[in-house]
Amino acid sequence: MDLQFNIDQETHRIEVDFRDGKYLVRLEDGQYEVDSQPISENCLSLLVNEKAYTVFIVEEEGKKYISIQGEQFCVEEAKAETGARSIAESATLKGTPTIAAPMPGKIVKILVGEEDKVEKGQGLVIVEAMKMENEIRSPSAGIVEKINFKEGDLVDAAEPIIELKPEEKE
Amino acid sequence: MIKKILIANRGEIAVRVINACREMSVPTVAVYSTADRKSLHVQMADEAICIGDPPPLESYLNIDKIIAVAKQTGADAIHPGYGFLAENSDFSARCEREGLVFIGPNSKALRLVGDKVASRETMTKAKIPIIPGMMTKRAEMKEFKEAAESIGYPVMIKASAGGGGKGMRIIYSPKELEKGIEAGMREAKSAFGDESVYLEKYIEEPRHVEFQVLADNFGNVVHLFERECSIQRRHQKIVEETPSCAIDDELRKKMGEVAKKVIKISGYNNAGTVEFLLDKNKKFYFLEVNARIQVEHPITELVTGVDLVKQQIKIASGEKLKLKQEEIKQRGHAIECRIYAEDPENNFFPCAGKILFMKEPAGPGVRHDCGIYSGFDVPVYYDPILSKVITWAETREDARGRMIMALSDYIILGIKTTIGFLSSVMGHPEFAAGNTQTNFIEKNMSDWGDKKKGRKFLNEALLAAAVSSQMKTSEKRAVVKEKAPSPWLTVGKWSIGGN
Repeated sequence: MDLQFNIDQETHRIEVDFRDGKYLVRLEDGQYEVDSQPISENCLSLLVNEKAYTVFIVEEEGKKYISIQGEQFCVEEAKAETGARSIAESATLKGTPTIAAPMPGKIVKILVGEEDKVEKGQGLVIVEAMKMENEIRSPSAGIVEKINFKEGDLVDAAEPIIELKPEEKE
Repeated sequence: MIKKILIANRGEIAVRVINACREMSVPTVAVYSTADRKSLHVQMADEAICIGDPPPLESYLNIDKIIAVAKQTGADAIHPGYGFLAENSDFSARCEREGLVFIGPNSKALRLVGDKVASRETMTKAKIPIIPGMMTKRAEMKEFKEAAESIGYPVMIKASAGGGGKGMRIIYSPKELEKGIEAGMREAKSAFGDESVYLEKYIEEPRHVEFQVLADNFGNVVHLFERECSIQRRHQKIVEETPSCAIDDELRKKMGEVAKKVIKISGYNNAGTVEFLLDKNKKFYFLEVNARIQVEHPITELVTGVDLVKQQIKIASGEKLKLKQEEIKQRGHAIECRIYAEDPENNFFPCAGKILFMKEPAGPGVRHDCGIYSGFDVPVYYDPILSKVITWAETREDARGRMIMALSDYIILGIKTTIGFLSSVMGHPEFAAGNTQTNFIEKNMSDWGDKKKGRKFLNEALLAAAVSSQMKTSEKRAVVKEKAPSPWLTVGKWSIGGN
């Protein structure tokens, strides 16, 4: 079976075979023999070339959350070619990066106005979430095209607060 | 003795207090907002009453409602935990008027130590060393500017009513001052309902060393040694330890005596913490009194063997302190790591959401104070602290090794947490060497996100993901192929225990 996984926006191609009670897994850097035993619903005991690992794994909305030796990974199975693009991605493609809060919160202060020119890293808006103020900074230089909220408004995660027009290349 | 305690808080500290009450066979009443119906403290208490909508002002800060619930349930005492109403002298005064025991200091002492400007004046008079700063309470921007000039940059903006880093800003130059004060005032207003801020000299590369004290209602005061809490992000502690590597027995004794003096001249009773800044030259300055049980109280409990929450309840019940200063000893070393629902790769931005799976660390010398469970949905409305891991061992090095192991065994899946980051802090050579100044994270951890790209177990994670996908597919196939009959059906005739 051929698989493609994304971790931190990097795609990894993997081949898996099952033979004599063990998994033969081919990664980009070589082949591994894996003996895997389910311990509980969220726990696997892996022996990888006889090295022992206890892996905790949970799946939610197509993502696998994996904890192994204290390191955490969020693994997404890559859908071949097609597949919906995330809001942020499609906005980037359109050429208008959107500025959104990573989690729901309240807009306490908007630091720029429409038509303002902003530098990369410049503070655009202050959002309060879980009792802390957090400044959201500009991901690139550009011009503020649209501000969708006003101070005091509540925003949801990923809801575009500000739309930026990237600086014209000269 | 107190008969029934209402816990006016949520999360891990509410659970901690409820457990102390359970050990003492004192019945408990939890209060909760509509966002917290499924929170752990509601499950642990004997009774639980909903007090309103999720925003704190409508629930955990709603004094009228909380007092009414205490009356309605027959609770004769209220434990405020930390945060929320813990250092609100109006609340403690109201409890006094209503004949309820406030498990904390009396309202007069609370008002004094809670007002940082007034307490600075008191301490100056008593010749307690303090950091140079601005003494006025309300000021125009012009006065802030003048004060900053006379103190000398860098200056620190602090909330008059606050703690926990809320409203705090370091200002390095005059052009940042106005923006910083505005932001500080807004944060102070939203966190404490009081927007007043003040300025003080910012001491560079300091250590944060605090002393735990207990004072009964009869003027007896003891200290339970220090905690060093230098490792902070956003001026909020995330790692604490005791003893401090920075002080020797002579300095420890001197600071402990000053801490007791601060408590005595403030007329303070119950548990409290006297905070000091220690500069490079081992000169110490009084910062403030934290008039509450602190997040980091467990490390003191582990090295002294004293249960501080039970002591709070006993003192509030009117018992005399049985502890004698000369009998309190520090044994071994304890470290606490605070687990927050935050993204360390994204400037510690809070991350609410559902905990899909969790496994607690355990073992000798590992303590886990916890307000969460597998399946818990972390609400967006409150401080993102989830739990605390505390390790104790004979030496600092052993406690550090034990902490690294405990953090590695602590699994929280589904939301981002500080676990991995804290593990890197514990493993950092500068931490191992005891070089823990308050700028530790900026100085040593700023490239942490990049380091993570070179993660050690990426291949193993891919193997696990591949195997789990494959197992799922083959399970499905197996189910379709044969509805496997139960062994009880295939084993033939059987009986139990027959001959």
